[in-house]
Amino acid sequence: MIYYLLLPVWLFLLVIVQITILDLVSFGWIEIEISVIVIIYAGFHFDALRGSILSLLIGFYLDCLTSTIFGLHMFLYMVIYGFSRIVRENAYAGKPGLIACFSGFCALLEGVAIVLLYRFVFGSNLLHEIPKILVPRAIAVGLLSPILFSLFQRFEVFLNVEDRRPDRRI
Amino acid sequence: MLIPRKYLSLAAVAVLLLLSLAVLSYSAARLSETGFLRKMVLEAAAPVEDAVSISLGAVDDAWKRYIFLVGIGDENRRLRRENTALSEQLNRYREGYLEGIRLQKLLDLQDGLSRRVVTARVVDHSRASLFKTILINKGTADGLRVGFPVLSEQGVVGRIIETAWHASQVLLLIDGNSNIDGLIQRSRAQGVLQGAGSAGCSLKYISRAEEVLPGDVVLSSGLAGVFPKGLLLGVVTGAFRTGEGLFQRIDVAPAVDIGKLEEVLALIPDPGTGK
Repeated sequence: MIYYLLLPVWLFLLVIVQITILDLVSFGWIEIEISVIVIIYAGFHFDALRGSILSLLIGFYLDCLTSTIFGLHMFLYMVIYGFSRIVRENAYAGKPGLIACFSGFCALLEGVAIVLLYRFVFGSNLLHEIPKILVPRAIAVGLLSPILFSLFQRFEVFLNVEDRRPDRRI
Repeated sequence: MLIPRKYLSLAAVAVLLLLSLAVLSYSAARLSETGFLRKMVLEAAAPVEDAVSISLGAVDDAWKRYIFLVGIGDENRRLRRENTALSEQLNRYREGYLEGIRLQKLLDLQDGLSRRVVTARVVDHSRASLFKTILINKGTADGLRVGFPVLSEQGVVGRIIETAWHASQVLLLIDGNSNIDGLIQRSRAQGVLQGAGSAGCSLKYISRAEEVLPGDVVLSSGLAGVFPKGLLLGVVTGAFRTGEGLFQRIDVAPAVDIGKLEEVLALIPDPGTGK
């Protein structure tokens, strides 16, 4: 129960940190999207209901504060969460290499989806943003994800949430 | 039971996924007033972001003003020279302005900018994001509504897309979702200025037959009724007639330095005219 009570507050603070402090720390060059890493962590470690509520909520906050199309982050984060669950079912999701590659891929996928939406719905060509914004962001997310995964595990223990580390696939 | 117990949680995921898709399809199709929950989030986030921005801004300010002073002397000399030139220019414009007022009185035209103006501070600006938006510290309590135009002293900034009681989200003119009716000052050719992200903007639907030159000024045409006529949008940086089609590709640099926005003005239309 404590999870559901604290979740909205923690996620709100996380989104605020992401869009203010991390933007300043990176001098506005790279968007450090911790929220994607949180979603993937939820996909790898949480049960379906908890993880999907987390994904929806974090997407909702980002939609309210940064997005220009309400619901876009909610949808994309649910899709990323679904992908993470599929990976969790089919591979050992504790390897840092896999975490880094998958997180980077998801960050890139999210960005490309937004660029394509702008292209086909609004007729605006943002393809030039892929090397400028999306690739650096995907690299940053990929590099940070293994470190943040271990931090989240400690945080999860602190919140007294059951450890749901994935079993090694035989 | 319709769904076996072991698939219940997966069914919940599927339902939430469909729900998010429904929300996305609904909101992509229409511009609506901000809902209560979204207002609450904006309202809660704005003061926190404001506090963070002010404290970090103070550190940055102290660094630039008192420690990092390399090149200040050269800049000072350059600014003095510019000041002299601009004062001369200002005199000429003042004459033109007074003449314009006289002519306006003669023709009994309404002043396009006789609207109520609300000054707001920018509290958040995600610079490296794909979405080009800013958060300002004024909302419905100050009379702001979705769709109202936002300006700075340099020109058009964008329009409001979300409002809470004391905070609003502004869609910048460089976002791909932004379309403003504009015209080229010199030739009066009309088109639509669309955002192109970090590349600035592009002016669309200008015929290939029109002569457009780098340096041409782009103003709001006032056609859609959101922006008053004659506001500065940007300057043409390049016009290309490559490829086939009826129109040319025109790149426009926004007049506003988006990265340095601190205060903005929101225009409240006259309720009588709706303009």
